[in-house]
Amino acid sequence: MLNSFARAATALLLAAAIIAGVLLALGASPIGVFAALAEGAFGSWYALTDTIVRATPLIFTGLAISVSFSGALWNIGADGQLVAGAIAAGAIGPYLGGWPRPIAILILLIAGAAGGAIWGGICGWLRARRDTNEVISTIMMNFVATQLLSWGVHGPLIEASGAYPASTPIADSARMYAFFPPTRLNLGIGIAVALAVGCYLLLFKTSVGFEVRAMGRNRRAATFFGIPIARLTIGILALSGALAGVGGAVQVSAITHRLYEKLSPGWGFEGIAVALVARLNPLGIVASALLFGALDNGSQAMQRSQGVSAVLVQVIQALVIMILLAFDTRVFAGLRSRIAPATPTMRPAAGAPSDA
Amino acid sequence: MLLAKNITKRFGQTLALDCVDFEAHRGEIHALVGENGAGKTTLMNIIAGRLRPDDGEASLDDAALPSGSALAALKAGIAAVNQSPMLFERMTWEENLALGGFETDRFDLAAVSARARNLAEHLGFKLPPPGSTIEERSMAERVRLEVLRALSFGPRVLILDEPTGVLAPSELTSFLDLLRRLRGEGRIIVLITHKLREALAVADRITVLREGSVVARTTPAETSESELARTMIGELPPLSLATPVFAGAAAVLSIEDVSLERGGHRWLDGVSLSLRSGEIAGIAGVDGNGQTELVEILAGARRADSGEIRLLQGADNAALAVIPENRDLVGLILEMTLWENVILARPLRERTTRHGWLDRSRAVELCGELLNRFRIRAPGPEATASALSGGNRQRLEVARAVAAAPKVIVAHNICRGLDLAGTADVHRTLADFAAAGGAVLLISSDLDELLETCGRLFVISRGRVRETRDGERDAEKLGMLMAGDWS
Repeated sequence: MLNSFARAATALLLAAAIIAGVLLALGASPIGVFAALAEGAFGSWYALTDTIVRATPLIFTGLAISVSFSGALWNIGADGQLVAGAIAAGAIGPYLGGWPRPIAILILLIAGAAGGAIWGGICGWLRARRDTNEVISTIMMNFVATQLLSWGVHGPLIEASGAYPASTPIADSARMYAFFPPTRLNLGIGIAVALAVGCYLLLFKTSVGFEVRAMGRNRRAATFFGIPIARLTIGILALSGALAGVGGAVQVSAITHRLYEKLSPGWGFEGIAVALVARLNPLGIVASALLFGALDNGSQAMQRSQGVSAVLVQVIQALVIMILLAFDTRVFAGLRSRIAPATPTMRPAAGAPSDA
Repeated sequence: MLLAKNITKRFGQTLALDCVDFEAHRGEIHALVGENGAGKTTLMNIIAGRLRPDDGEASLDDAALPSGSALAALKAGIAAVNQSPMLFERMTWEENLALGGFETDRFDLAAVSARARNLAEHLGFKLPPPGSTIEERSMAERVRLEVLRALSFGPRVLILDEPTGVLAPSELTSFLDLLRRLRGEGRIIVLITHKLREALAVADRITVLREGSVVARTTPAETSESELARTMIGELPPLSLATPVFAGAAAVLSIEDVSLERGGHRWLDGVSLSLRSGEIAGIAGVDGNGQTELVEILAGARRADSGEIRLLQGADNAALAVIPENRDLVGLILEMTLWENVILARPLRERTTRHGWLDRSRAVELCGELLNRFRIRAPGPEATASALSGGNRQRLEVARAVAAAPKVIVAHNICRGLDLAGTADVHRTLADFAAAGGAVLLISSDLDELLETCGRLFVISRGRVRETRDGERDAEKLGMLMAGDWS
């Protein structure tokens, strides 16, 4: 873990150095820009809490990517799964008025998990039983979810007045526990961190998690050792979808309180980057989501005070990912073994008995 | 003349080659023999420009070879064929050959194919049907394609790294003939092998490497198989003996009338056989006659179209352990740690799992025990499987199978690429397992291995299996049976 942090920090510094060079060439002050970025992300109590709020959905989608990629199931549909979860939560939310708050919130989250699990599970079933490439099916399901949301807020879910394409607000009892208003800080981050710990335990401390990782590393070997590939495929993609779906429900419960079009700015895709930077480690995903949240959050302040486009932050994010992947030792190891596979890595020491 | 002088190469802490001199002359077949890890492949990789030596230099006909450039070595006339064929699985063989010296300027596959046919005819090769992809071809065909690709450069030196490990007996003779013919054309053939019989049969001169140093330079006339073996490993491994078959012992595994059809090809055709406890039974066959499919079915990775596989004595699934053919692709997950590889075996995974939670320390402990008990040379349970040498990977796989305490072990080509000592070790472990009441089904294309270790012997050809009769237990008759001559 520490090692991973060190690597991420190095990549971040290297990316910053490259950006500084670009800024200098453009005649802007790198120090001013970075200071504004940091100020916007951490400079005030409000900025700090908002960084956390922005990181929250990225933790959920990052975890969704982590569990599926660990099993070599390339789920590109976390965005659609998050939206599906949000739709389920937004649809059921207005009817939870009569329930005590903890239960109402729990129902909302379960609805979100179910929505996402169905969205992911369909792709899992298609992969396991019909050998449909999950990359394609999950991408396609993104569009289905987006269109379903659009249809919902224009049609059956539209608010009472019918004036705006948005759904009826969810009941007060289903709204997430908020801390320190007027900041937007809420219990969602707690749920996200708890699920990150859960995913870590599942992947690295349980027998099922081991089977998932084995399948991810070598599917063919896994079949030889009685690992139930088909069942795991469906299970993993359903779980992956559920994690993203809970993220959607948390967003509805804590922030938007209702559905509207373009609910997700692409959290599902940013989640891929978040997970890759964390090398799929669920605990690392919390840290990497906070980094991405901070960059997102700080970029507005940077644009206002320094006149540098907020898009610069996306360049920084992309640079961090590329630098990390370029220096990933595993990537290097894979490359080496492809160049000279005939060379065994361990040899007998001189004077030792022959390799026998 | 190919000359390498004073070659030294280190990998980290270990000295792979220590001031090695090597020379081979025009028109000779030069066998380079030695155990796994002796440095044979490293030496050839240096000569072929794939590795840069720490010290020393190589030259061909008095022209120095630039070190560390495979392209320069190729241009100088040195072509090498790898231990395991390096071909693009999903591409056709013509496309694969197009990457060799048949290549025209305009990527003309028809021309490539025509030139390949010319050369193949000249060499007495049979080429695969046009347009078939590599993944459909047998190992022997892949090796032939690799040789063809190497020869397409018209090399003065041809280096072959363990080319015969994957060849059937019937293919071996013609392959050795091919080497003699290439020698006749005035080329230098360097044959890397640890099969001493082959080296003695075909080589003009033999260089023996041990632990990174040349320990002998000799000719077949001056030496013998046992003397070579002694030079190579220092001591002779005890010969393993065929285990007696307990005639009265009950059958533990019975395969009844198993058939499999896929893609219009009948891979398995009414296969029936039974195994009794205490025996090592063998199935001899040329690769690609249904062995892989049979193993997959036994492992539960594939379902048969018809027929039945029964484990008797009320045994459950854990009673059968399979050691698949390709240890690097199927048997082990190279990027995972050794203890993780150990618990890939389901019974061992269950033994180290409590209420769904993996007991990591127990798994590490179990792995450590196996490393000790089976004398597997490894840095420790936390090392990745990729850090092990081929022989130790195979020992780990066999150890894992035995540790799962099955009734039956099915082992497929497990000694391919292993040296004498490694092979003897693996066979001893299997013999001990059988002596303790287990049953072993050894599926192999290596007749010497089968004749040495097996009691009852079966033959597989085109998906059909039959037991050999008395008087068929010699290499020649078995070779004919393997070729499908069952009259």
